[in-house]
Amino acid sequence: MESNVGDFIVGLMMAVFGLIGLFLVAGAADAEMYVFGLALSGFAVCFNFGLLKSHYDRHDEARAAARVRSHV
Amino acid sequence: MYPVVYPVVYPVVYNDAVVKKFVIATMFWGVVAFLVGVYIAAELAWPSLNLGLSFTNFGRLRQVHTSAAIFAFGGSALLGTSMYIVQRTCRARLFGGEALANFVFWGYQFFIVMAALSYVMGFSQGKEYAEPEWHIDLWLTIVWVCYLLIFLGTILKRTEPHIYVANWFLLAFIVTIAVLHIVNNAAIPISIYAADSYSAYSGVQDALVQWWYGHNAVGFFLTAGFLGMMYYFIPKAAGRPVYSYRLSIVHFWTLVFMYIWAGPHHLHWTALPDWTQTLGMAFSIMLWMPSWGGMINGIMTLSGAWDKLRTDPGLRFSVTAVGFYGMATFEGPVMSVREVNALSHYTDWGIGHVHSGALGWVAFITFGAMYYLVPVLWGRKALYSVRLASWHYWIATMGIVLYIVSMWVAGIMEGLMWRAYDKFGFLQYSFVESVVAVHPFMVIRLLGGVLFLIGALIAVYNMIRTVTSPTTALPRRGLVASPVLPALGVAGA
Repeated sequence: MESNVGDFIVGLMMAVFGLIGLFLVAGAADAEMYVFGLALSGFAVCFNFGLLKSHYDRHDEARAAARVRSHV
Repeated sequence: MYPVVYPVVYPVVYNDAVVKKFVIATMFWGVVAFLVGVYIAAELAWPSLNLGLSFTNFGRLRQVHTSAAIFAFGGSALLGTSMYIVQRTCRARLFGGEALANFVFWGYQFFIVMAALSYVMGFSQGKEYAEPEWHIDLWLTIVWVCYLLIFLGTILKRTEPHIYVANWFLLAFIVTIAVLHIVNNAAIPISIYAADSYSAYSGVQDALVQWWYGHNAVGFFLTAGFLGMMYYFIPKAAGRPVYSYRLSIVHFWTLVFMYIWAGPHHLHWTALPDWTQTLGMAFSIMLWMPSWGGMINGIMTLSGAWDKLRTDPGLRFSVTAVGFYGMATFEGPVMSVREVNALSHYTDWGIGHVHSGALGWVAFITFGAMYYLVPVLWGRKALYSVRLASWHYWIATMGIVLYIVSMWVAGIMEGLMWRAYDKFGFLQYSFVESVVAVHPFMVIRLLGGVLFLIGALIAVYNMIRTVTSPTTALPRRGLVASPVLPALGVAGA
């Protein structure tokens, strides 16, 4: 439960950062801000994919454990 | 006669996954920092090695080296070990869940990469140890606040009544670095879409704020944080309690009170008012007491366990680190005396002093902690090779000796050459003559750096083999042998 709430809050925060990154890229006045904005949005996407993956990994683990218990 | 009732203690499932990531990052960034250091040391000996390219220029790579050493290598070590220590000493899993801990890890790595990239591209605030521009500073602030939340939350939900002294040092490090970072980096961006900004301070006030930050980055990032590491890993590795717990508390309060005033000693003989310089100098000299109190406490913790230095190279690293801590904190106050500073400032003596602390204290105490942590975290029975760890120790120690001695000699020579007058009152030497004179010492320093890098590569190989080699695997039978136990915090807790 704690993990789910934590995942949601952090995931939402990262989505906001990803959007901010895109805005920075769109209006960038120099190369540094362009690279930073692009990297920030890419980082946010990768991090949130990681969150999705760990959520389904935990889900699969719980199902596998339940299956083992039902056979015992 | 009442029966003795022992409380039932349930094993806490610690979040060691994030600690493992920080351990890997520490060793990776250590090698990067030492490699860049070696390259720019070679540039100082043979300047044409900058290849005539802007992004391999010393002026840009120097910041990559210092940030990689302090924030990437040292920072990853501090964040990782603090998350390990706070869980064990509070007997509580990290607050905030896995996602928040992972955000702190990846967010911190993102900060490091972005900062390094911006230096190479030629963007810098021009503030020593605070070079990243405003947008990267803001990102670090967000990551740091999340880190504080995790650390403080874990302390608040602890099941141990006492807060162990290592946590006091670590909390002081986290809170003070947050304050220093925010105040020193206060700036007005020229545009929300541009990297450049103007500092909120000007003139000598800017310099004072910068060195209040700069010296306390040393005092709280490179000292208080690593003292937290010392107070946990030396007693654990030695199997002995802290020599004097009371002394550790006195050490803590005197250190945090005195360090914060010492910054102005970086601005001797400048436009800063005289009384402020004297204040910084006086507090620097007073710092001898807590520094040496802490050093004595760390070394004397080995009372009754000195024999372990022969068999445990990790502990040897940690104890030697405390020796270097004592040496560097003796030298610092000496250099803060105005008359000594007149000779030492702007010379390579300062570089030698910084590296006796950075290599001898920070890197050695980190290596000690890493040698302890790798087998414990990955559930291995021991290090792959004690012999290789010993080689690492001796090669790295030789590297430090070559480095700091060459810089002392070069620095004192530079100071004396710059102030020498002839009988007519003219300067006896031009600046370039001092540059030519220190050339041999630049080469010796480079050799010292190469040795230190070789030592780190040996450590990386030893740690990879510790994790992967079948010779270090725990036997499969019996409760004690269960590889799950270290992850649960039962073994090595």
